[in-house]
Amino acid sequence: MIRVEGLAKRFGEIQAVRDVTFTAPDGSITGLLGPNGAGKTTTLRVISTLMAPSGGAATVDGIDVARDRLGVRLRIGMLSDARGLYTRLTARENIAYYGALHGLAPAAIERRVSELARWLDMEALLDRRTDGFSSGERMKVAIARTIVHDPPNVLLDEPTNGLDVMTTRNLRDIIRKLRDAGKCVLFSSHVMQEVSALCDEIVIVAHGAVVARGNAAQLLAASGRDNLEDAFVHLAGEAH
Amino acid sequence: MSGAFAVVYFKELRDALRDRRTLLMVLVASILTGPLTLVLMANFVSGLEEKAANPKVRIAGAQYAPALVNFLQRNDIEVENAPADYESRIREGRLDAVIVIREDFDEHYLAGDQVKAEIVFDDSRTDAGPSIRQAERLLRAFNRETGTLRMVARGVSPDLAQPLKVDHVNTATPRQRGALFLFLIPMFAILSPILGGMSIAIDATAGERERGSLEPLLGNPVPVSRLVAGKWLAAWTFASGVAMLTLAGFAAAAILYAQRKLGALMAFGVPELVDFVLVAVPLAAMTSSLQMLICTYGRSYREAQTYMSYLVSVISFVPAVVVFAGLKDAFWQLLVPVLGQQMVLGRVIRGDAVPLTDYVVPAALALAIAAACLAGITRLLGDERIVFGRS
Repeated sequence: MIRVEGLAKRFGEIQAVRDVTFTAPDGSITGLLGPNGAGKTTTLRVISTLMAPSGGAATVDGIDVARDRLGVRLRIGMLSDARGLYTRLTARENIAYYGALHGLAPAAIERRVSELARWLDMEALLDRRTDGFSSGERMKVAIARTIVHDPPNVLLDEPTNGLDVMTTRNLRDIIRKLRDAGKCVLFSSHVMQEVSALCDEIVIVAHGAVVARGNAAQLLAASGRDNLEDAFVHLAGEAH
Repeated sequence: MSGAFAVVYFKELRDALRDRRTLLMVLVASILTGPLTLVLMANFVSGLEEKAANPKVRIAGAQYAPALVNFLQRNDIEVENAPADYESRIREGRLDAVIVIREDFDEHYLAGDQVKAEIVFDDSRTDAGPSIRQAERLLRAFNRETGTLRMVARGVSPDLAQPLKVDHVNTATPRQRGALFLFLIPMFAILSPILGGMSIAIDATAGERERGSLEPLLGNPVPVSRLVAGKWLAAWTFASGVAMLTLAGFAAAAILYAQRKLGALMAFGVPELVDFVLVAVPLAAMTSSLQMLICTYGRSYREAQTYMSYLVSVISFVPAVVVFAGLKDAFWQLLVPVLGQQMVLGRVIRGDAVPLTDYVVPAALALAIAAACLAGITRLLGDERIVFGRS
C-alpha cells in the first residue's frame, strides 16, 4: 500500500509537485493521469526513493520514503521511463543481476526467472543477448527485472510509451495479473483511454497537484461531462 | 546486502569480457607494444653500434689525395669511392656523409699550403650524426698528424699548437646509456593502466546513463557506495591486468630478443618486471577511479571519451616534463602523482637502489586519491541533479 500526503518537490525555481495526496491500496490498480509535465514522473521518483521530497510525506507499506530508502526499495519494483538493458548480457543474466542485487540466492533467482518467463511468455528469449531485441521484448525483460524480487508494490511510469497495440494489450494483461496477485499497482499515463480501461481508481494530476480522484463514473459526475476525455480536459484545466 | 559489491564486480567483469572487439584491441595492443618497441629500439641502437664498429668513409675524388687515403688505411678505415650522384643521395637519406676532395689537393699538399676539403651531409637526420662526426674526427686527426710532422720538420714542438690535450672519459655505465631509451618502458607502465581501465570506466558510468540503465540500477536496495566500489574494482582489475600484460611483453621481448642485441645496454628481466608491477598496480587504482569520476559527468559515451582524452593528455604530459625539464630526482617528486611513479621506475631501469619508501609513498598517495574519487562518485550518483540530468 502506498500513501502520499501533501507531497511537494521543488527543483530550484521550478515547483514540479505542489500538493499530491492519494492512497493506492493493495490488490488494486491506481492510475496517475495527467498531461505532460504535470508531476507524475516526479511523484513516482519520490515514492521510489530516487528523489527526496521537499515537502509532505510518502510511505510504502508504512515505511517513510525519506527515512528508510533501502527498506522502501525492498518493497517496491519501479519500472521507470529509463528501461535500458545490458546488451551484452542475455535476458536471463539481466534479470538475475537485479535478483542478486536484491540479495536473492542463486537457486531462488533461477526459480523466479523461469516463473516470470512463463508468466510473461518470454521463455524463448531468455538465453539470447538483449542486443537487437524489439521494444516489446525489451519491455518484457525490463518488467521481469522490476519484479524479480516479487515486490508487494509495483510502480510503472508511462509503461505503454512507444509500444505497439499488441504489446500494449499484453502489458495490460500483465498489470491485471499483478493486481489479481494482490499487488498494489500504481501507474502513470497521459492517455485517458488507457487509464479508464485499466484502473480501479484514477487520480488526476495537473500542475503538480491532485485535481480529482475516483473511478470513471465518479469523475464523470464530478465534472458534469458525458465522456471521460472531456471530463479529463475539464478537470485538468481547473488547476489554473 | 554485503554481497552486492561482489555481484556488481562480477557483472561488470562479465559484461566487459563480452565486449570482444574492445577486448581484442586492448589485448593485441598491450601484448605487442613491448616487443615492437624493443625490437625497434634494438635495431636503432645496434645500427649505431654497427656504424661505429665498421669505420668506413666515403670520399669523392679519393684519387686526388693519396696522402689522406694512406692515412685512413693506416688507421684501419675502409675507404669507399662515393657515387657520382652523392649529393642527391644524401638529400634522400640514402647516404650519411661524403668527404669531397678537389683535383688540386696533392699539388697544394705537397707544397705545404692549406688544402681545402668538404664534408657534405644532411644533419637534419639524427641517424646520420655518427657518420658526420666520424668524418670530422678523421679529417681532424689527419690535420693534426700532418701539422705535427710539418712542425717537427721545422724544429718546432708540436705541443705549442696543442696547449690543451683533451681525453674523453665517459662515466655512464652501459646500462645508464640504455636507460635513455628505456625511459619508454616507464611511460608505458603509466599509460597502460589508463588504456586498460578505459572501457569499463566509461561503460560503468556514462554508459549506464546513455543506455538508460542507471536509474533502474540506483533503484535497487543497495547503497550507492557499494555499486561504485564494485564497478571501480572491476575497472582496477582490468587496468592492472593490461598493465601487467604490457610490462610482461616488455620483459619477454627483452629476455628473448633485445638482451642479445642490446647486450649490456639494458636489463629488463623478471626482477625489474616485479618492481614495475608493484608500482603500476597501485597507480592503476588511482587512474581507474579518476577515469570513472570524470566519466560520471558524461551524459553519453562520446562525451565521456572526450573528457577521457583530456585526462590522458595531462597524464602523458608528465613523462615529457621529466625528460625536457631535466628534473633531478628528489623526494618531493614522490608526492606528485605520476611524477613519483615515473621517478621510481626510472631508478629501477637505471639499476639504482630503490628504498622501500619510494614504493610505499606514491602507492599510498595513489590509493588515497582513489578513495577520494570513489567518495566523489558516490556523492555524484546520490545527487538527483546528476542522475536525472543537469538543467
